[in-house]
Amino acid sequence: MAVANKKCRPKMTAFGIQYRMTAGDYVFNVLNVTFFVLFTFICIFPFYYLFINTISDNDLVGMNMITLIPKGIHFSNYIALRDVQDFGQSVIITVSRTILGTALMVLASAYAGYLTTRQLMWKRSFWYRAMVITMYFNAGMIPTYLNMMSLGLTDNYLGYIIPGIVAPYNIILVKTYIESIPGELEESAEIDGATVMQTFTKIALPLSKPILATIAVFGAVGNWNSLQDSLIYMANSPSLYTMQHRLYIYLNSSSNLAQAMQSGTAVTSGMLNNKVIKYTISMVTVIPIALVYPFMQRYFEEGIMMGAVKG
Amino acid sequence: MTRTITNARESGERSGSKLMVLNRVVIILACAATFFPGLYPGRVTTEISRNTSLLTASISYDSLVSNISRALKKGWVSASTFQLLMVASIIVLVGIILCAIGGCMSVGNHRMRYVGIRFPIIGSVVMAVGLVCIYVCHGQIVAADTEKVPANFPVGFIVFAVMAVLILLTSLAELRIVLPLKSDLEPKMQMGEKYHLFLLFLPILALVFAFSYLPLWGWRYAFFDYSAGGTLSMDNFVGFKWFTYLFQNSATRSDLFRVIKNTLALSGIGIVTSWLPMIFAIFLTQINSKGFRRVVQTCTTIPNFLGWVIVYAVALAIFSTDGFINSFLSNVLGIASSTNYLMNSSHMWLKMWLWGTWKGLGWSAIIYISSITGIDPTLYEAATMDGAGRFAKIWYVTIPQLAPTFFVLLLMSIANVLSNGLDQYLVFSNAANMSAVEVLDLYVYNLGIGNGQIPLSTVVGMFKSVISVTLLFAANGVSKRLRGESII
Repeated sequence: MAVANKKCRPKMTAFGIQYRMTAGDYVFNVLNVTFFVLFTFICIFPFYYLFINTISDNDLVGMNMITLIPKGIHFSNYIALRDVQDFGQSVIITVSRTILGTALMVLASAYAGYLTTRQLMWKRSFWYRAMVITMYFNAGMIPTYLNMMSLGLTDNYLGYIIPGIVAPYNIILVKTYIESIPGELEESAEIDGATVMQTFTKIALPLSKPILATIAVFGAVGNWNSLQDSLIYMANSPSLYTMQHRLYIYLNSSSNLAQAMQSGTAVTSGMLNNKVIKYTISMVTVIPIALVYPFMQRYFEEGIMMGAVKG
Repeated sequence: MTRTITNARESGERSGSKLMVLNRVVIILACAATFFPGLYPGRVTTEISRNTSLLTASISYDSLVSNISRALKKGWVSASTFQLLMVASIIVLVGIILCAIGGCMSVGNHRMRYVGIRFPIIGSVVMAVGLVCIYVCHGQIVAADTEKVPANFPVGFIVFAVMAVLILLTSLAELRIVLPLKSDLEPKMQMGEKYHLFLLFLPILALVFAFSYLPLWGWRYAFFDYSAGGTLSMDNFVGFKWFTYLFQNSATRSDLFRVIKNTLALSGIGIVTSWLPMIFAIFLTQINSKGFRRVVQTCTTIPNFLGWVIVYAVALAIFSTDGFINSFLSNVLGIASSTNYLMNSSHMWLKMWLWGTWKGLGWSAIIYISSITGIDPTLYEAATMDGAGRFAKIWYVTIPQLAPTFFVLLLMSIANVLSNGLDQYLVFSNAANMSAVEVLDLYVYNLGIGNGQIPLSTVVGMFKSVISVTLLFAANGVSKRLRGESII
């Protein structure tokens, strides 16, 4: 009987070994799966809640009636965002800095990463260390701010782009990656008389595409989520605020200026209400990442593993 | 080919003559000086913004006249003076760039040096022309003679004039060595590989210098009685006043202790619970379904890639008066409720940790998940032979295998104990909970950017930087001693 029972039990794999499940395994698996389902739910549900509130009937949302299921579905709120003061401008700023800043950072990292693999460079390890040590040591927020000011990069769009071009950590990743590629191609190119720049553009750049994709996705996310540089360096130029900064202002103004909104000074009109606008703007900043992330997940994970190898 | 490279190497060695070294050093100093507002040679009136350097004056007319627009409108000074000043600045900058090109070419082969020597000569003359124009501007300001726009003879003018003269003299002296090379010119301009690579790398180094090393010069503000827009001079030099003030003034001292308490507590909670991602990874990999694991991983890592503002938006959407909890209570459970849970400022440390965990747990686990898939399966087979159950295998095989990764991450988080970051605490802070969530980064921000107490916040930042670096090297030392591997 016991033997027959054992045969009926399904097989399972744990630690790469197949064996038959025991009662303890059942309990364990149920508890384990329950935990992960719950945690996943907690991670995802808030975005679902935000989303159903942006597509439901605005009056119901205003009365706090949308809890689990959307009612009266429409997508006009996303179109109505065009009329929200200053938000469109901040979208342009964020999108453009994400594209421009990421592209320049990736190019510079590839270039610098490649050059630092070249042993012949004059005092190579000294310059390399001087660059790497800046990851661990910085002058602090205020001196950095004063420096940006004296370089004329405060209240200046270039203040988003130029300081981010050299990213020592990414340069290390590229350097490590190129060093892990067998050097024969490079050597043969040099024997054929290719210059340094030719070897870079024709050999090193195409070969290091995977790592460049990785640092590009991290760079793009960083630019997309940037709040601090907008907050500190662009304080006097509202037209240069990033999307996150704008959202931060909207979120706060609603909690502090509730009375003002009620007395009709609100910028919104019609059925739109403050809550819907806040949620819709939040979703606008979330959706691109949520859509792109599953496809780019591999690159993100490779990125953190490469960082771990470096230590 | 080989011959020219050898020649280039030789010339590279020979070009190390003392005069040439002096020439290059002065050129590098001139390049660096373009970044420093204090050395702007065109500061012909004290009204010009103190943040204007030669570089910014050459690029942006607006920044040059940012403080003078009123005087220009009233006609106290003529706009042409400042237009000339900007042109003069550009001329000086062009001169410096020419000198820099010459400096770069001076490490090449004979032909390159022969051609390149004219650049610093021309460049220093161009610089001199620009300086003369600046002198003319100065004369115009003196002639305008208004109290509103007082004339000023800038220190930078003398510095740049001296540098121009030095570059010119050393370059002329260098001619003596370079001109005889004419008999021995290679067919093409070339440069030794090592200098060529270095010059290609130089733009990157310039950016590192401008954004990572130059800010250190701002530490001098810690020794002055400075407020935004003011000046630094011997009159307001206060030595270590702000350093002692920080600890002797009872208000700032108690603030500092509170802030450090918050910082250490919040980092401490993170360090004490830093095993959570490892457990998360171990238990997730116990699930057989690959698809399920994939979905869990994707969903739990997404919050890590959303900014803290979004997390705050989520917090509002769930916990505020018109958020999900109240909506759920009244619509689903039928309990009338309108509590704003976010205004409750008790247990802030715990709440901050919970938000951090919500955002980061799934992502922090990734590194362990990858490590677990890399564990040698024969270890588990051997453990099975020895009769180990699931938890025995986790305890005796998996965890010891993950320990090195855990240890490195733990050391890194100890080294970063003072850096909690600004975003999270800034977005979640309000008047009610500020005393519990104000961490060091937020304190520096509030003090320096919010209250404009630049010297004091610089001092706090200096302490933070120095302690952080010390901790990092200590952690690295521990790692080297225990594991024989460095973490930085």
